[in-house]
Amino acid sequence: MDTYDADGITLERVEEYVWEIPQDEEMNAPARVLASEELLDQIADDKTLQQLKNSTQLPGVRKYAICMPDGHQGYGFPVGGVAGIDAEEGCISPGAVGFDINCGVRMMTTNLSYEDVQGHEEELVESLFANVPSGLGGGGVVESGVETVEEILDRGVEWALNEGYAVDGDLAHCEDEGRRPDADPAAVSQKAKDRGKNQIGSLGSGNHFLEVQRVTDVFREGVADSYGLSADQIVVLIHCGSRGLGHQVCTEYTREVEQAHPELLDQLPDKELAAAPAGSRLAEEYYGAMCAAINYAWVNRQLIMHRTRQVFERVFDRSWEEMEMNLLYDVAHNIAKKEVHEVDGEERELYVHRKGATRAFPAGREEVPSAYRDVGQPVIIPGSMGAGSYVLRGGESSMETTFGSTAHGAGRTMSRTQAKDEFWGEDVQDELRGQKVYVKAQSGATVAEEAPGVYKDVDEVVRVSDELGIGDTVARTFPVCNIKG
Amino acid sequence: MSFELREHTADVAVAADGETLDATFGAVADGLAAAMCETIPDDGDRFSFAVQAENREALLYEYLADCIYQRDVRGVLPVENRAAVDRTGDGWRLDASARGVPLGTIDAREVKAVTYSEMRIEQDSDGWNAYVVFDV
Repeated sequence: MDTYDADGITLERVEEYVWEIPQDEEMNAPARVLASEELLDQIADDKTLQQLKNSTQLPGVRKYAICMPDGHQGYGFPVGGVAGIDAEEGCISPGAVGFDINCGVRMMTTNLSYEDVQGHEEELVESLFANVPSGLGGGGVVESGVETVEEILDRGVEWALNEGYAVDGDLAHCEDEGRRPDADPAAVSQKAKDRGKNQIGSLGSGNHFLEVQRVTDVFREGVADSYGLSADQIVVLIHCGSRGLGHQVCTEYTREVEQAHPELLDQLPDKELAAAPAGSRLAEEYYGAMCAAINYAWVNRQLIMHRTRQVFERVFDRSWEEMEMNLLYDVAHNIAKKEVHEVDGEERELYVHRKGATRAFPAGREEVPSAYRDVGQPVIIPGSMGAGSYVLRGGESSMETTFGSTAHGAGRTMSRTQAKDEFWGEDVQDELRGQKVYVKAQSGATVAEEAPGVYKDVDEVVRVSDELGIGDTVARTFPVCNIKG
Repeated sequence: MSFELREHTADVAVAADGETLDATFGAVADGLAAAMCETIPDDGDRFSFAVQAENREALLYEYLADCIYQRDVRGVLPVENRAAVDRTGDGWRLDASARGVPLGTIDAREVKAVTYSEMRIEQDSDGWNAYVVFDV
């Protein structure tokens, strides 16, 4: 099959796993979907392709807009979408970043084996659920005033280090060392800060979770050694974002951009793509506010990890240092970052929008922490509760193929409404218990909505990433305990 | 006035209608509450707020965004939403009230934000109808 037709959109196969929507008169660049035929069938099943095509109408899109193997319909810009947009001649779009700025994931390693944890699962899941704030209105690890929020927005994880919630190694192993230097707390509104002050260190709800996992497979021994991963080891994965503060930043800047740049909005097929022209006041302000929200999200995950260390100390009666509970890496998902990439043989500064996609820089890049620079940046791909997750490394082809990006998860295939019709939370919990997975959530509905059956085949997503050389498989993990908001 | 939750791969959508714009906007806000909580208790006090915008779509966006903001800063789920929409000299104004159910008393899921994606506000012979996608 050399072409694929879906709802009036024809894709041409460029090479194995690479499909292209050719550029037409409305598009500023072609669009590419990175998928096997099995995944493409799922991607074509909703409005993902139309949203991807729409995103190419943003001014300054370079090379092509890209849908990752886990892509699915979002709002405006597809989830799993990547666009490198010229930082001089293009634009920046809050909707193409998403409301949950720096929704992301971090993995913490331990020296515990699965055998060490067996028999403690119930206590562990109950204690994590009791001590890690989650759900709507569940508060945070730190509840403080706006001044503290402003420090967090400015300094990121450095703030956590000064306050005793982090150690140097946490910063060294976080993307950008846990601080975006372009952050501008003054560009974040009072309303956003008010929303953020009581949610610092909280999971939220929906698809966000904290999961204790065991490493089941190691595929690249040398890289796994560099990451501190080995078979049967216990690790902890934390998935959440910038909470109400980040949502408010996106909400407000979408409106401001709409009002200030109607001429640009008139060229776009979806109002959710509203964008500020590069070099405009609003582009600078939004970028500063978004970077500040990125810092907030990193602190959010840091505080949850700090609380997790304390829970493990109580359950296993050892210090977290003895259990070597060290941050492997923290990666952002919903961001736009100024990065320099090669475009048509020329180095260009781009706003690389990654909405539901992960930066995946290969070995040798200076942005990769020194500990991993020889092997490539860790990439963490959370899967469903019944399928496990993966650790990858940035692949050699990622810079050329995807502006240094890969997938971010399994990707949904089913609406939440349908999920609740098809699954019953308690049944899902019982089935998972049969697989020795202990799940605790604020409600059964949340468990049903996040049932393993609502997600794509994460194995296939990761296989395609590996085959394309944009993210190489390093290790696989499987859940032991999972808490949800 | 009525609303229903519509399927969406990743998020949730609300379709609502009413005889007037007031009723339709209130019904979308009730749909937003239903997207967060399936069983709503009778407690909580009413509170008021107001928003302004340059056109109808923007007004609906601002209204729903403020419902979400009020939820987080007051710690309540806004239910039984009432909206009064008026034209002003240079735009639109909405005066809203809602009963705020304390979040601590309910199991609620977080809706992150209102989106413009696929938003529709249309008038037909029966009144007004609206469609809004929310980020979950």
